[in-house]
Amino acid sequence: MALAKLEQLSKSVVQGPSLATGAVPTKDWMDTPVIFKEGNFAYPAKKEKVEYLDSQEGLSFPNARIWSPDEDDWKLPEDWQETILKGLKERLDKFRSLKIFMDCCVRCGACADKCHFFLGTGDPKNMPVLRAELLRSVYRNDFTLAGKLFGKMAGGREMTVGVLKEWFMYSYQCTECRRCSVFCPYGIDTAEVTMMIRELLHTVGIGINWILEPASNSNRTGNHMGLQPHTFKDNVDFLAEDVENLTGVKINHSFNRKGAEVLFITPSADVFAEPGLYTAMGYLALFEQIGLDYTWSTYASEGGNFGLFTNNELMKKLNAKMYAEAKRLGVKYIIGGECGHMWRVVHQYMDTMNGPADFLEVPRSPITGTVFDNARSTKMIHISEFTADLIRHGKIKLDPSRNKNVRATYHDSCNPARAMGLLDEPRYILDHVVPEWFEMPENTIREQTFCCGSGTGLNTDEIMELRMRAGLPRANAVKHVIDKHDVNMLSCVCAIDRATLSSLMGYWNPGCDVCGVSELVGNALVMDNEKRAMGYDAEGNESELPDGFRTMV
Amino acid sequence: MDLAEAFRNYEDKIVEQWVDYTLSSYKSSTFFKKGPDKFSNPVGGNTREALGRLFKLLTKNADPKEFVEPLDQIMRIRSIQEFSASEAVAPIHAVKHITREILAKDSERKQFIADLYDFEFAVDMAVLAAFDLYMQCREQLYKVRVKEIKTGTVILTDSKCPSNLLNKDKGDPVQIQV
Repeated sequence: MALAKLEQLSKSVVQGPSLATGAVPTKDWMDTPVIFKEGNFAYPAKKEKVEYLDSQEGLSFPNARIWSPDEDDWKLPEDWQETILKGLKERLDKFRSLKIFMDCCVRCGACADKCHFFLGTGDPKNMPVLRAELLRSVYRNDFTLAGKLFGKMAGGREMTVGVLKEWFMYSYQCTECRRCSVFCPYGIDTAEVTMMIRELLHTVGIGINWILEPASNSNRTGNHMGLQPHTFKDNVDFLAEDVENLTGVKINHSFNRKGAEVLFITPSADVFAEPGLYTAMGYLALFEQIGLDYTWSTYASEGGNFGLFTNNELMKKLNAKMYAEAKRLGVKYIIGGECGHMWRVVHQYMDTMNGPADFLEVPRSPITGTVFDNARSTKMIHISEFTADLIRHGKIKLDPSRNKNVRATYHDSCNPARAMGLLDEPRYILDHVVPEWFEMPENTIREQTFCCGSGTGLNTDEIMELRMRAGLPRANAVKHVIDKHDVNMLSCVCAIDRATLSSLMGYWNPGCDVCGVSELVGNALVMDNEKRAMGYDAEGNESELPDGFRTMV
Repeated sequence: MDLAEAFRNYEDKIVEQWVDYTLSSYKSSTFFKKGPDKFSNPVGGNTREALGRLFKLLTKNADPKEFVEPLDQIMRIRSIQEFSASEAVAPIHAVKHITREILAKDSERKQFIADLYDFEFAVDMAVLAAFDLYMQCREQLYKVRVKEIKTGTVILTDSKCPSNLLNKDKGDPVQIQV
């Protein structure tokens, strides 16, 4: 009797799909269509942004139009199917990796439960193996003998509008974080499969605004926000003034200065948005203290490269700006700030796109003499490498007690961790700048780190629920160290993280702040001739910069 | 032998079935049911932990205020997943029916079904608390969204900031003398 009631309970609640991705699976995945509803898709790119990008030399963004994923008619070009298949053929010929990834998966399932989107949604199409299968099924159907002969029996399926819509749904429920690839015994980089799907979608005019607008802005004015050189300069100047007000040390920075030793490039969010601002103040203080001969650029005023989330041509074009500027200014090498995907582009793609940067010199720290051989080809080093080296050689004085209100943990940002192996440098820095910090559980950090859930241009507010689901595995691990160690600060080395983790904590772990590692460096840095401002802490006691660079004075 | 003993005896079994029922509400629930730990399997791990804690409270006449913490652990997750409000909360009810069913199968203990009033009332209280939490979580989600809109890049790109006003012709780069 009781179980009969239980069954009734199950049936009495509203059945079927609600906000997100579609129906309860009663059919094979291939026969389960996607359903777009407000809240489960990011808004499509504005027509004028697509037109602008399409007008640029070397780029192709056809079919600019006003459309919406929740309408039946996506206003595709007549020959869209041919375009997609031709595009797939071109890419299979051009990228050997794609061909291998299409052929070598044995569907062992090692990746299936490693994706944060799957772990947060329980949607089987978010298993990396199945997400890749969305493309692979079309590949089989049209490009393999078995598929041509046996079709669906051989796992193939025809390219239809339904398949295209499925591609859009699930290639934008992947943040290209590459956690799945860590577990793949064949080393399949499912992120690159997503990248290819997104590229193909762009060939018929399907893209999202949160990616294409920053990308077009970046191409036009040099940064994601589309802000012009004077605004960029003004904001850095404001931050320098803030550092001076707080530390009593005047910051001598410069812009577009020819002959500087180093060009410094960081994500523009560090210059314009909290909490990245404090990280930028950390850079300014550090460079001032060591007397680095460096310049900012208003032309290469963006480290982020949304081309990575779009197509390889746009990625190449945006990446080229950094090196063009380095060449124009005649610097010796580039130091890059705390950015995520910029490092993936630099470390994994730059060399074959725009490199080698042989007009630059192998980075050598002017303070310690350390030669960064790891950057021999790209000539670009990460601020954490640079800072860790300064600490290692005792070239800066740090007082961790200045961060006494901070109980930190460290989030390995996906791209620096998995795409360039930057695992120990930020930890080494933390060891020296905070009194105590705490690691999250082993299977959620370092190579196995969980994504913030909103990378690859998915940090747009219209899909907030989806982002919260995808960020659950990360937030869950943070909660553990909050409960166990009273952690109150989630540090990271990525600007997108700083924005998205702030929202993620706002939902899952209110009270836990987010910061860049360089902010903590700036707070702890003992500067020559400093005269630190007084401020009030949470209890109303007056002391020197109780909240570091965040202190209101 | 009394009801308390019956609860102790069947606690693991009841919680196991309760967890199973709750996780069956996910499309692909096999991994959520089997996944090894809370960190590699956050939905399954938290559901298991929360329902285990909640069951202990429901069976010991605890103050309903104590239900909030374990309920939050589970409702915070279900509130942002693809469930309607009723779907999100429904599994909390299920423990009533699971308990009755399990006791009914035990000839020595089925007499205690008549004594389940307090327990079932506690479950009702938990369900009400779960609805409150569901709403709180939704409100919090929207607050996070509003905060992001208010403090995010929208201010710089879509508002009347001076730089944006200069941005009349989006097709042409602005000529700047450097």
